[in-house]
Amino acid sequence: MTPAFRRQRALADYTLAALARRRGKNIGLVVIYALVVFVVASALLFSSALRHEADTVLAEAPELIVQNLAMGRHDMIKGDVIDDLAAIRGVTRVEGRLWGYFYDSVNGANYTLMVPLDPDRVLAPGEAMIGEGVPRVRGMFWETAPLFLSRYSGDLVRFDVVERISSESALVSTDLILLNEADFRDFFGLPGGVYTDIAVTVRNSREIETIMSKASALLPEARFITRDDISRTYQKLFSWREGIMVALAAAALLAFAIFAAEKASGLSAEEAREIGILKAVGWNMTDVIAMKLWEGALISAGAFLIGTLAGYLHVFTFQAGLFAPILKGWSVIYPDFALTPRFDGVQIAALFLITVLPYTAATLVPVWRVAAADPDQVMR
Amino acid sequence: MISLQTVTKLYNEGRPGEVRAVDEVSLEIVRDAVTVLKGPSGSGKTTLLSIIGCMARPTSGRVLIDDRLVSGLPERFLTEERRSTFGFVFQRFNLIRGLSVLENVTLPAAPLGQDPREVEARALARLEALDLAGKAAMPVEYLSGGETQRAAIARALINDAPILIADEPTANLDTDLTHRFLDIVGALRDEGRTVIMTSHDPRIWQADHVNAVISMQDGRIVGEYA
Ligand SMILES: Nc1ncnc2c1ncn2[C@@H]1O[C@H](COP(=O)(O)OP(=O)(O)OP(=O)(O)O)[C@@H](O)[C@H]1O
Ligand SMILES: [Mg+2]
Repeated sequence: MTPAFRRQRALADYTLAALARRRGKNIGLVVIYALVVFVVASALLFSSALRHEADTVLAEAPELIVQNLAMGRHDMIKGDVIDDLAAIRGVTRVEGRLWGYFYDSVNGANYTLMVPLDPDRVLAPGEAMIGEGVPRVRGMFWETAPLFLSRYSGDLVRFDVVERISSESALVSTDLILLNEADFRDFFGLPGGVYTDIAVTVRNSREIETIMSKASALLPEARFITRDDISRTYQKLFSWREGIMVALAAAALLAFAIFAAEKASGLSAEEAREIGILKAVGWNMTDVIAMKLWEGALISAGAFLIGTLAGYLHVFTFQAGLFAPILKGWSVIYPDFALTPRFDGVQIAALFLITVLPYTAATLVPVWRVAAADPDQVMR
Repeated sequence: MISLQTVTKLYNEGRPGEVRAVDEVSLEIVRDAVTVLKGPSGSGKTTLLSIIGCMARPTSGRVLIDDRLVSGLPERFLTEERRSTFGFVFQRFNLIRGLSVLENVTLPAAPLGQDPREVEARALARLEALDLAGKAAMPVEYLSGGETQRAAIARALINDAPILIADEPTANLDTDLTHRFLDIVGALRDEGRTVIMTSHDPRIWQADHVNAVISMQDGRIVGEYA
């Protein structure tokens, strides 16, 4: 062990003994501090999770969706138009999509049934892939448990679950049930050749306006939804919630700033006297500051860890339950919507920078002032 | 040689309640000897020790330790001076409440980067010599007056500093413990170290180990004999 290492160890030991001595006060300090970190961390994690959900949805959305309207309402669209659309310049791919909602009256749950377009997810008749939420509501604890859906009482359709989907985004996959095309049509009594809507992929997304005007000339009755439209819808759903989170975080940080400023304003007579004694028995300013840095580091690191961990659990395990009252209307987005746990290193680092650093600086300022004075003055 | 040249210390300078705690004191204290300051309460003994020990700065005058001028140095050099040169027993002990006797005694060694076991062994030996080893783990606020005093003495000795400054070190000790302390002082002197202390106690002024006694009154030196 080098002397420098031994010195740090001795200073850290002293710090621990000193912290233990004012246990009540220090626990109080850590609790307040952790609470601030908790609120800010929850807000940050929550809004970033929301943004991530939206991004994932958008990334999976096609550039253009064509829907048929009947009496102003979304209706099935004929497959014939696929070839017409594919003939437009700049269009790379046109696919008929099959999806629909199914209300499971037994469990009171809503599912999204869909035929996968993804060539990696081709299903044989009688097979299904299900999202994580489905076995949860239905109590399907065995990995191999089959899925039974009943259209009306007494009519049970059985599917073998070949995979449970764990997608990047819960918004997309939680209540998803993927079926084979024939099964899907059979289940909903849908004739061949019609689709729920049509997804159009284009080569260059800047051409979308031109393509859309050509397409609407072909299909004057249809509704066209671009990825930008979807994005705007999500923006509307997410942005004010994110705004609330930012405001909440700002309020917590303000409280923290007041708390830190209070620290910076001065030491108690006892703390000042203690520094005087340490200096009198031969500690120099660097020793005192190093000791106080240990103290600040132990307190802030402890509070930071506790606060961040609690925030993480709050958002991802308890689905931001404490924010629920402020976020009424959350279910607009989804009936049973679970945020996907994410750990954003940059965000955590930013949180560290805006809490631990100012706190440590705030504690050091008064220490510096006292430690620079003659011990005789501060010891009295 | 510690040399003070027309040293004056004012408290509350220029304000109402100005105190001339030390008034133009010139003094030479020889090394390798035991010097005792005496005088009535308020005569400036503690203030003078603080100035000698680089804990306080004189308002005017010069202080030299072995021909090094210390009175004008900035605080960070004075810390270095305190660390390398002095061990202190304060009149009000100045132990840190909540820490154990042992933790208090080892405090001056903490920043030196020494082997902690070795420091602890030294501390226990010092406590043993003062009959306090049994209380090593006890928080200092539970100690009796005399025990507190001995803990303060042990702390002053931990770094084997060349100069021991002790302000009323026996005020709370009985005759037996006073003699033990004097034995330690004698041993320090025999090792070639310097001891400067204040005392109201005639047993101290008259002790064999004491080389010089200086009397103070109203911040001035009024008598000096060896
Ligand atoms: N920090 C201070 N501020 C103002 N006055 C002070 C301060 N320290 C000491 N004094 C005053 O200076 C004078 C000398 O004090 P000092 O403590 O040196 O006396 P002393 O000889 O040690 O007394 P005692 O024998 O009671 O310990 C006293 O009048 C005291 O009130
Ligand atoms: Mg005194």
